[in-house]
Amino acid sequence: MNPLVVVILVSLAAAPTTALAGFWRPRWAGPVALAGTALAFAAALWNWHSPGATVDREWAPTWGLRLHVQSDGLAAVYSLLATGIGLAVVLYALAYIPSHLHHQHRDDGDATRFFAFLLLFMGAMVGLVHAQDLFLIFLFWDLTAIASYFLIGYDRQRREARISAIMALQITCVSAIGFLIGSLMLGERFGTYQLPELIAQVESSRYVTVAMAFMLIAALAKSAQAPAHFWLPRAMAAPTPVSAYLHSAAMVAAGVFLIGRIYPLIALSDLLLDVLTIAGAASILVGGILALSRDNLKQLLAYSTISQYGYVVLMFGIGGAYGVGAASFYVLAHGVCKCALFLTAGAVSEATDQRELSNLGGLWRHYPLLAVASGVAAAALAGLPLTIGWFKDELFFNAAVDDGFPATLMAMIAATLTFAYMGRFWLGIFAGPDRGAGRSISPLLVWPIVALAVVAVVGGIVTGPFVRLAAAAASATLGRDVDLHVGYAINTEAKIALVVFASGAILVATYRFWREFPVTIAILGAVVGPDRIYSSVINGLNRLSDRIHWIEVRDLRSRVASVLAPAAVLFVVSLVMTRFTGPFRTGDLKSGDGPIVLMLILIGIAALTAAAPRNHFSMVLALSGVGYGLAVVYSLLRAPDVAIVAVLIETILSLLVFGFLALLPADVDPAEVIPVDDPEQQAQEDHALRDAGLAISAGAFAFVVAWGVMSRPAALESVIAEHVALTPDAHGSDVVTTILADFRGFDTAGEITVLGIAFLGAATLLRRRVAR
Amino acid sequence: MNIALPIAIPWVAGILLALMDGRRRRPGRFAIVALVATMAAASNLAWEVYQNGPVEMVTGGWAPGVGITLRADMLGLTFALLSLGVLLAALTFEVLSGVRTSSFPALVLFLATGLTGVFMTADAFNFYVFFEITMIAAYVLTSYGEDGRQLRSATIFAVVNLLGSAFFLVGIASLYHVTGRLDMVGIARRVDIFEPEAVMLAGLLIFIAFSVKLGIFPFHFWLPAVYTGTRPAVAAILSGAVANIGSYGLLRFFGQILPEQLKLGAPIFLVLGLASIIYGSVQAISRRSVNEVLAYSSIGQVGFILIALAIGGEQGFAAAVLFAIVNSVNKTLLFLSENLRGWLSGFVFAVGALSVAGVPPVGGFLGKAGLFKIAVAEEDWVIVSLIIVGSALSFVYMFQAYQRRYWAPDPEGSEPHAPSPSSVRALVCAIAVLTIFIGVWPEPALWISEQAAMTFGALP
Repeated sequence: MNPLVVVILVSLAAAPTTALAGFWRPRWAGPVALAGTALAFAAALWNWHSPGATVDREWAPTWGLRLHVQSDGLAAVYSLLATGIGLAVVLYALAYIPSHLHHQHRDDGDATRFFAFLLLFMGAMVGLVHAQDLFLIFLFWDLTAIASYFLIGYDRQRREARISAIMALQITCVSAIGFLIGSLMLGERFGTYQLPELIAQVESSRYVTVAMAFMLIAALAKSAQAPAHFWLPRAMAAPTPVSAYLHSAAMVAAGVFLIGRIYPLIALSDLLLDVLTIAGAASILVGGILALSRDNLKQLLAYSTISQYGYVVLMFGIGGAYGVGAASFYVLAHGVCKCALFLTAGAVSEATDQRELSNLGGLWRHYPLLAVASGVAAAALAGLPLTIGWFKDELFFNAAVDDGFPATLMAMIAATLTFAYMGRFWLGIFAGPDRGAGRSISPLLVWPIVALAVVAVVGGIVTGPFVRLAAAAASATLGRDVDLHVGYAINTEAKIALVVFASGAILVATYRFWREFPVTIAILGAVVGPDRIYSSVINGLNRLSDRIHWIEVRDLRSRVASVLAPAAVLFVVSLVMTRFTGPFRTGDLKSGDGPIVLMLILIGIAALTAAAPRNHFSMVLALSGVGYGLAVVYSLLRAPDVAIVAVLIETILSLLVFGFLALLPADVDPAEVIPVDDPEQQAQEDHALRDAGLAISAGAFAFVVAWGVMSRPAALESVIAEHVALTPDAHGSDVVTTILADFRGFDTAGEITVLGIAFLGAATLLRRRVAR
Repeated sequence: MNIALPIAIPWVAGILLALMDGRRRRPGRFAIVALVATMAAASNLAWEVYQNGPVEMVTGGWAPGVGITLRADMLGLTFALLSLGVLLAALTFEVLSGVRTSSFPALVLFLATGLTGVFMTADAFNFYVFFEITMIAAYVLTSYGEDGRQLRSATIFAVVNLLGSAFFLVGIASLYHVTGRLDMVGIARRVDIFEPEAVMLAGLLIFIAFSVKLGIFPFHFWLPAVYTGTRPAVAAILSGAVANIGSYGLLRFFGQILPEQLKLGAPIFLVLGLASIIYGSVQAISRRSVNEVLAYSSIGQVGFILIALAIGGEQGFAAAVLFAIVNSVNKTLLFLSENLRGWLSGFVFAVGALSVAGVPPVGGFLGKAGLFKIAVAEEDWVIVSLIIVGSALSFVYMFQAYQRRYWAPDPEGSEPHAPSPSSVRALVCAIAVLTIFIGVWPEPALWISEQAAMTFGALP
C-alpha cells in the first residue's frame, strides 16, 4: 500500500470516526481521537521514509482539476508537525477538556465536537501539505479555516468566543478568495492547475506577479502577518489546546507552508520578495513589541507567534538555499516550543485559575517538572544553546548575514525581542516570590509538555534528522537539492547570538523601567490599528444595513409601483441606448375607418373615467365599458367570434366583480386586519401624487411599446397562413376552432389546468374559512 | 412518447391527488412516488438526449411551428431535474412533518407539471401557458399554512407576479407580431433579419418579467415579504424551484432567441446584477430573523446569475447554470433547516451558510469559482473585485445569522424548543451531505452545466 494514500486517508478519516464514536458513546470520543492521531502520526513517519510518492487521479476533468498529491520534504515537515503536535495536543486535551467543560457546567458530550473538529483540522492540514492541484489546495485551505472557526468558537456561550470565531473566519476565508483568484489567473493563462507543471512553464511577467500577489494575500493573512495579524490574539478565546495547535502546527503554519509551496512562482518577482521581507519585518516588530506589552499569558504567546512567523516570512523574503532552509527548520523548531509553551500556560491557568503574569510567580517550587519542561521550551524559542532553538537562530543569522547589514540588524532585533518576552514569560510564572500553590496538575497535562521539551533538547544535540528534514523541505520548495549544515562553533552567528542574549537579558532585567513603551504602542494600535478598522467596517455595515432598510416597501401598492417605476426607467434607458431607431409611424386613415376611430375615442374616454378616483362601482362599470368597446372594434374589424368571446368575458368578469363588491363588508373589523410590519411607514404620506405619476408613466410606456411594435410591419409570412391552409386537414371548418382544439390544443389543455388549479386554490381557501 | 412523460406523470398524479385528502398518509406517499417517477422519466430522457441529441415532438403530428413543439435538451432537462429534486425534498419534508391542508400534495404535483413543461417546451406561447400553471400553483401554495401571514404573502406574491406575467405576455405578443412565429427556433431565425434594436423593447419586457420572478434589484420588493411570510417548505419551493424559471427563462430567451439583444443589453444585466448582489447582501446583514436574512441573501445570490449572463458565451452560460444549480440546493437546504430543532440542526444550517459564502469543500464554492473563472478569463477586474465584495458580505451576514441563531444563548425565560422529528432532520441532513458531496466531487455539477450550456451551440 502506498504510504502517501495511507497518511492522507487516515488523517481525513480520523475526524468522522471520532464524531461517530462520540455520537454513539460520548466518552469514546477522546480515546478514538487519540488512536486516530497516533495512527496518523505513525503513517506520517512512515511516509517520510518513503518519499517521492505521487498519486494523480482525475477529479474534475471539465475544469482540468486533478486529485494530485505528492509527498516531498515540505509535506513531510508540516505533516509530521500536524500529526505529532496533534498527538501531544490530543493527549493533553484528554485531561483538559473534561475539566474545561466541568468549569463551564457543560455537557460532557460537547467533548466530541472538540475532538472531531481538532482532527478535522489535522486532516485538512495533512491534505493541504500534500496537495499539488491548486483547487485541491484551496479546498483543504478553507477546510482548515472551517475547523478553526468551530474550535475558536467552541465556548459559544461566551460573546468573546463568538466574535473571535467570526473574525478569524472572515479574515482567513475572505483572504482565501485571493488564492482562488490567483489560481484561476494562472489556470486560465497557462491551462493547468497542477503546481509542478505551472512551476515548470511559468515565466516572470506582470500578470504572474499580480496572480501571485493575490495568492500571497491569502498566505500572509493566514499566517497572521501585519497588518492582518489582529485576528490571531483574538483567537485566544479558544480553549488552550486549540490555541496550542493553531499556533504551532496548523492554521498559522498553513500560511507559511503555502509560501513554501508556491515559492518558485513568488520568487519570479523581486517585488514580491520585497513584500515578504517588509511584511516579515513589520510582523516581527509588531508582534515582538506587543508581546512585551501583554500581561495575559496566552495573549503574550499569541503576539510572539506573529513575531516568530514574521521571522519565517522574512527568511522567505531573503530567499536562497539558506533562507528557505532556515524557514523550514524554524517552523519545525517553533512548532515544538510554542506548543509546549501554550500547554504550559493552559496547565498553569488550570491549576491556579490565573491568566495574568502579574498574578503569578514562584511556581517552580510547586511544579518543578512543569517548570523545567517549559523552561527548556522557552530557552529553545529564545535560541539558547543545547536546544534545537540554537540552530534555528544559527540558520536565521546565517541567512541574514549573507543578505547584508539591514537583514542582520533586523534579525538581531527579532531575536532580542524573543529573548526578552520569553524571559518575561518563564520568569514571570515560575520565578519570583512564591504566591502559593494552586491545585495539583494532572500528569496528562504535564507529560505532553515534557515530551515536547525532550524533542527540543534532542534536537539541540542530535541535529541530523531535523536538519535533513528542513533540507528536504527546502529542496522541495526550491526544486533543487539543498544541503544544510549546522553545528556548534565560534562563528559569526554564534557571536551574534551572544550579543542577542546579552541585550535580551538587559531588557528583561530592566523591564519595569521601560514597560510603558510597549504598552503605549499597544494602546496606539488599539485606537488606530487594523483591529479597529475591521470592527468599524463590520459595525458600519450593520448600521448601513439598518439605515437602508427603510427603502424596502411595505404595502402592496408600493410593491406594484416598485415594478412599474424601474420598468419605466429601463424603457427610457433602452430607448436612449437604441437611439429611437424603431420607426414610430401613424399610418394612413382609410375611408371606412371612421367607426373604428370613433369607438376607440369612446374607449379612451371610458379608460380615463376608470382611472379617475371614485367609488369602486363606477370604476368597474367604466372598465367594462372599455371591454365592450373593444368587442365592438373586433366586430368592426370583421372578427365576430373574437368579439363574441370578448363580450362573454367582459360580462362574466363584471358580474363577478360586482358580486365580489357586494360581499365586501361595509366596515372592516379591526381585529381582522393583518397588521403591517411598520405602521409608521404605512401612515407616512398620501401616495396619490406618486400613484398618478406612476399610472401615467406606465400608460405612456405601454403606449410607446405598442406603438413601436405596431409600427413594424407585421411579419410577412405568419404561421397563421399555415394554420388557415391546414384547417381542412384538421377536419375543422373555421380556423379559430382548429387552432384552439387542434394546432394549439395543448395550450388549451394547459389553460384548463390553470383554471382547475385556481378552482382547487379557491376551494382550499374557502374550506379554510369554513374550518374556522 | 418519452418526452411527454415528465409532463404527463405529474399532471395525472396532480389531478388524482386533487380528489384525495392530502393530509392523510397515503396520498402523501403517492405524491412522493409520482415525483420520483417523474424524475425517473426525466432522467431517462436525459440519458437519451445525452446519447442521441435533443428529442423533439410536435403536438398533433403537425409541422414544427404549426403545432406546439416540445423539445428536450440538456439545458431544459438540467433545470427540470434540479427543480423536481427541490420539489421532492420539500414535499418529503412536509409529508414527514405532517401536511396541513388537503390540497398541498396536488399543488406540488401541478407545480411540477408546470415546471417540467416550461423547461421542455420549444414554443414561446406554450412557455407562457406552463409558466401560468406553475405560477397559479405557486400562488395557492404560498397561502399554505394556518395564519394570516401566509395569506398576506400569497396576495403580494400573486399581485406582483401577475404583473410580471403580463409583461411577459406582451413581450411574446410583440415577438409574434414582428416574426409571425411562436416556436422558439422560428422566432430566433426571423429575429436575425432585423437590426437588434428592433426587438429591444420586446426583449426588455421579457427581461423585466424574469427579473421580477428572480427577485433582481429593483424588482425584488415583493420577495422578502413572501419568503418570510410563507412556510419553510414553500419558501424552499419558491426559491429553489420556481425561481429557476427566471434563470432558465433568461438563458433560453437571451441565450437562444435574442442573443444580439443580450449583447446590446449586457450593461443592464451587469449593473442590475451587481446592484442586486450589493443591495441584497447589505440588507441581509442586520436583519434579525434567519428567514429574513435568507430572503435578502436570495436577492444577492441571483445577481451572480445575471453577471454570468452578461459575460455570456458558452463559458458564461455554463457559469450561470452552475450557479443556478448550487443556489437551488443552498436555498432548499437553508429554508428547510431554518425551523429545525435538535441536534444536527445547527450542523445543517452551518453547511448551508458555508455553501452560500462559497467555502469549499461545501458545494456553493463552485458557483462562485465558476463566476470568478469567467471574470478572470475576461480579465474584467471591476467584476472580479465586486464579486469579491459580494462574497465578503455573504460571510458577514450568513455567519452573523448563524451565530445569532445557533450559538448565542437563548434569551432568558424563553421556552426550550421541542426537537423536530428525527426523520425530518435526517432528510435535511441528507441534503446537507449532498451539498458537501457536490463540492468534494465537483465533476458532475461542472459537467452538467457545461453540457447544458453547449445546448446553444448545437441548435439547428
